[in-house]
Amino acid sequence: MIIAEAKPILELVQQLAGLRRVLIAGCGCCVAECAAGGEREVETLAPLLRMALQVEGHPLEILTKTVERQCEWEFVEELAELVPKVDAVLSLACGIGVQAVAERFPDVLVYPGVNTTSLALREEAGLWVARCQACGDCRLGETFGLCPVARCAKSLQNGPCGGTRKNGKCEVDENLDCVWNLIVERAIARGQLETLLRVRPPKDWSNSHHGGPKQMLREDLRP
Amino acid sequence: MMMAPRTEILVEREAEVFRPEIVVLFCQHCVVPDADLTVAGMATSRFKAKLVMIPCTGKIETSQLLSILAEGVDGIQVVGCPRQQCHRLDGNLRAEKRVERVRQFLHEIRMGTERLDMERGLDFSGLQLMLLAERRANAVKPLGPNPMKGDSD
Repeated sequence: MIIAEAKPILELVQQLAGLRRVLIAGCGCCVAECAAGGEREVETLAPLLRMALQVEGHPLEILTKTVERQCEWEFVEELAELVPKVDAVLSLACGIGVQAVAERFPDVLVYPGVNTTSLALREEAGLWVARCQACGDCRLGETFGLCPVARCAKSLQNGPCGGTRKNGKCEVDENLDCVWNLIVERAIARGQLETLLRVRPPKDWSNSHHGGPKQMLREDLRP
Repeated sequence: MMMAPRTEILVEREAEVFRPEIVVLFCQHCVVPDADLTVAGMATSRFKAKLVMIPCTGKIETSQLLSILAEGVDGIQVVGCPRQQCHRLDGNLRAEKRVERVRQFLHEIRMGTERLDMERGLDFSGLQLMLLAERRANAVKPLGPNPMKGDSD
């Protein structure tokens, strides 16, 4: 799940100062799950922003609406009725949703209300930990379901760096489990340690972040 | 010429005196069964209070606290059960975290953290709830009236 964190309130105040009316657009998908941009967060942010801007001497009228997902055009369209009434949209969606709103409504200012940070798992209530970096060449079957791209501080592919602490923690971050230590422990537990010695072809990094936006095309799903 | 003595009487005009408006959100299990809650209607020149009974402070959402303040209320006093005595296990602990979060927000937007606080206890009478409201009002007075007064939608 994509996770995001709420932007500092004062950053939002600076962005919106001087505007008369703003629509806070929530998203009911990933950002709702991580308590950053769903309906509940919209209903929290609206009165907070009104008060913050009143204190700063820039009273602001706020409209609110939360759609199912801001990454699908059909749901973004639900904002069409309100957008002409406002000076700006403050989107609490991830970066994908913010851009979708900006593309669908090019004549209105669109601001992000959250910082999109990672693809994460909710390990426990209130704690999300990144587990995937969308590398595009998933080899989890070779590492016993533990991802060294996302979970190794150095994204090493061939084993631990040699700096693993005695308690199994990472030398870069003492609070981080060394994922290669976890991989080896799991391999031993299954009696398959020798599989880690197999020579594997180099990882395909062509899906990495540089080189422009990625696309996935499925001809069988196109009209 | 002898001038007649002048007596100046200072009249405290009610409109110029800040009487903080305090909302008390209290858990139903914190008050004695026969608590007289009509005391809130008793006139006082020092503050105004509204007593709101809720099933558990765990029901209070962050958004609700902010909405109440955005409506122009000067301060909120939350009253919940002692830490280990919530009838719903940990509702009061959740409330404590939410109150602290809103206090942090109030600090960041310069509204004043003292506009909101939480008190814990049992067997409060109506009068004791009013005393808590007065304490909140006294804490709010230095902050002045809520800037949102007269600006609610």
